[in-house]
Amino acid sequence: MDQLNLANNLVSANQGEENETTQYIVVRLGQEQYGIDIKYVENIVRMQQITRVPKVPSYIKGVINLRGEVIPVMSIRIRMGLPEDEITRATRIIILKLEQDGTVGYLVDEVKEVVTLESRDIEKMSRDTLDTSQNFINGVGKRGNELISLLDLNSISIEDNIG
Amino acid sequence: MDVSQYLEIFLDETKEHLHNLNTQIMELEADPENMGVINEIFRAAHSLKGMAGTMGYKRMQTLTHDMENVFSEVRNGAIKVQPEMIDVLFNCLDALEEYTNNIQESADEGTNDNEALIKRLNAIIEGKSNAGTATSENNESKQAESKPAEAVDESAKPWYDITLDSSQIVVLEEALKQGKKIYGLNVVVQDTCILKAARAFLVFKAVEETGEIIVSNPSAQDVEDERFDKDFTLLVISENDISVVVKAAENVSEIAKVTSEVIDIHKTKGYKPSGETSVAVKNDGEQTAVEKKEQAAKTPDKKASSKPVVGRTVRVDIEKLDVLMNLVSELIIAKNSLLSAAVSEQSNANGVMSHIEYLESVTTNLHESVMKVRMVPIESVVNKFPRMIRDLSKKLDKKMELYMTGEQTELDRTVVDEIGDPLMHLLRNSADHGLESAEVRAQRGKPAVGSIFLDAYQDGNNVVIEVRDDGNGIDIEAVKNKALERGVITPEQAAVMTDKEIINLLFLPSFSTAKQVTDVSGRGVGLDVVKSKIESLSGEVEVKSQLGVGSTWTIRLPLTLAIIQTLMVIVGNEKYAISLGSIQTIEDVSPDEIKLVQNKEVINLRGSVIPLIRLPELVEIESSKKPEDNLVVVIVKKGDKMAGLVVDELIGQQEIVIKSLGKYIKQCKFISGATILGDGEVALILDVNALL
Repeated sequence: MDQLNLANNLVSANQGEENETTQYIVVRLGQEQYGIDIKYVENIVRMQQITRVPKVPSYIKGVINLRGEVIPVMSIRIRMGLPEDEITRATRIIILKLEQDGTVGYLVDEVKEVVTLESRDIEKMSRDTLDTSQNFINGVGKRGNELISLLDLNSISIEDNIG
Repeated sequence: MDVSQYLEIFLDETKEHLHNLNTQIMELEADPENMGVINEIFRAAHSLKGMAGTMGYKRMQTLTHDMENVFSEVRNGAIKVQPEMIDVLFNCLDALEEYTNNIQESADEGTNDNEALIKRLNAIIEGKSNAGTATSENNESKQAESKPAEAVDESAKPWYDITLDSSQIVVLEEALKQGKKIYGLNVVVQDTCILKAARAFLVFKAVEETGEIIVSNPSAQDVEDERFDKDFTLLVISENDISVVVKAAENVSEIAKVTSEVIDIHKTKGYKPSGETSVAVKNDGEQTAVEKKEQAAKTPDKKASSKPVVGRTVRVDIEKLDVLMNLVSELIIAKNSLLSAAVSEQSNANGVMSHIEYLESVTTNLHESVMKVRMVPIESVVNKFPRMIRDLSKKLDKKMELYMTGEQTELDRTVVDEIGDPLMHLLRNSADHGLESAEVRAQRGKPAVGSIFLDAYQDGNNVVIEVRDDGNGIDIEAVKNKALERGVITPEQAAVMTDKEIINLLFLPSFSTAKQVTDVSGRGVGLDVVKSKIESLSGEVEVKSQLGVGSTWTIRLPLTLAIIQTLMVIVGNEKYAISLGSIQTIEDVSPDEIKLVQNKEVINLRGSVIPLIRLPELVEIESSKKPEDNLVVVIVKKGDKMAGLVVDELIGQQEIVIKSLGKYIKQCKFISGATILGDGEVALILDVNALL
């Protein structure tokens, strides 16, 4: 039994080495494309009224009512130091369930599509501590000519004392 | 008998009886001659014993049995209540509580026999008289219960300890008539024997070859399962000589000793000649004791296999459930009338509105009732405190008395369960640090007996529990010096700190001002634990103290946890909810009534000066009002502190369901949560307690 499991593990490990695939939801922020690991995504909802919460960091836009639950919404743009969101008809809130912080919504300009990236298409990024906007990305996915920055969700949501 | 299903009831009732005993014994200590109390104690001890016996908790049963003996002697007037006896009794209650806790955790009473306690109990009884008729009887029956192994050595004829039932007696009598002999056989297995059950099995088999085994003690099943100590006893019918039977048993290896005798059937326990109805047993008491012992020995084994996890329960008054049921039926009626109103063609807005109003009153009542079901009086927690203070009084050698009021104040069950420890800390604190020693009290002209008060009462949507003492109070200088010494604060900080801020230092981890460490308190853990515990229950703790006069610790806990009545207000263009429980009045204030005190805005409202908090500024939004407009001020209070919240507009009263903002948004201290309004919009709830 153990041996069988071990064999299975070996097989999957070998497969993983060759082409481990991950699905990403591609969203647009300004002119750039970003990928969000689909395993964290609970829901994508249209823009709705956000209730402001006083005395919180500027990137927390407030809270929304998602089917009876109160969920905080944050702006990735402000978090990454980009200009303020422009709310358009395409604006969506992506509801994510994160291990540490529970459920949280991210404001994005547009949701484009779902892509499947193989591990060989992903270039891991080394962290540049000086450039804060780069810290929220843990890799870049290549798809044809397009580049998709892959968001490191946990580092986005972790509170920093500066914010 | 599987008793696990009764475990919850057993635990509940045992705790009740223990509480009862605790309070009654306290009373007895104060008034040793009170027969009513003694009777009450006797009854409680008796039911406790009965329950423990039924559930198969032998040790617990033995201990309560002996306690009961003491009470019984007291009741008969044979012994007088002495302080020493009270101490022993309290120790017994502690031991019983330990058993109960063990049972709650593992469905097993544990292995502590508390022999020392039992000895002391017996010493009390024996101290009464030297004639010792009743005493020796008690001792005998007790030993039979608690130490079956020793009984063997004492009587040396263990076969007479076996209780026969009528069918067995018939078989034995029949055998005698046929000229067969009845032998009693006691087989002792060697200490070193590993497979006792296997050896016993071989003995059984060998003996069966020479005769017929009628009874064995322990039972054949128990012996097979190795549930016996070193020896077992058999009753055998055989045509062969006694030596043949003994030989058969002795031939099995690892058997240390076989004793045997031809049995006189008339001496066996439970013997009554078939056909005769009257009980002709020499020692009735002993017989039942053995029976009980056998029952007790069997039941725990069965239970151990299916360890029940005891859930948390609330005992609900049946009346509360009736009210609940009625409300649910009203709810259904309300739903139906709404339905018919919606379907009916002439449905007009007025009709629907009246139905909705009805529905609203039903849901409000329903909420209240469900809340009430979850509410239990804090009595169950505070009841153990008089006992604790009594013990502390002895331990610390200080005279003190605890006065409690408002034990009937009700709180949510979850809160009541948690509040015990913090309260205990505060009481210990008062007893140890608060109250002065007798000499100091005499010097200060205070009564020799120190007083500690525990008062509980409801205040709006909060329940307040106060622990007050007439002791030394908090020495602010001592706290300050200690804080400096520990490096908690710098001298510059110390210079500008208010007394209140200094007192609050006490709530920091590892901070204790007691000059000497006692085992009661003073290790510096305590107050910070108290604070964090209370805060985890979304409550608050506060101290007021006057050096030389005493201190008051105030715990403030929310009455409800999920649904509250609020006043909805508008600030700028946002809606906020303020808990109705903390609102005093709503005032219309003209701008020129506002005065400045220490550069802070205040109003003078019917004689009291109330600071103003402008909510638009607080939540950083532009007010919709012009500066010259009259202000709408919501007067809120927490304890004796008041403040006026300036809002832009009032919407009205609304019942809301509290939702958490999640861990994500935690910086905002004065927002305690959010709620979802009828139109799906989210409104924030202002935490008045954090604002004051």
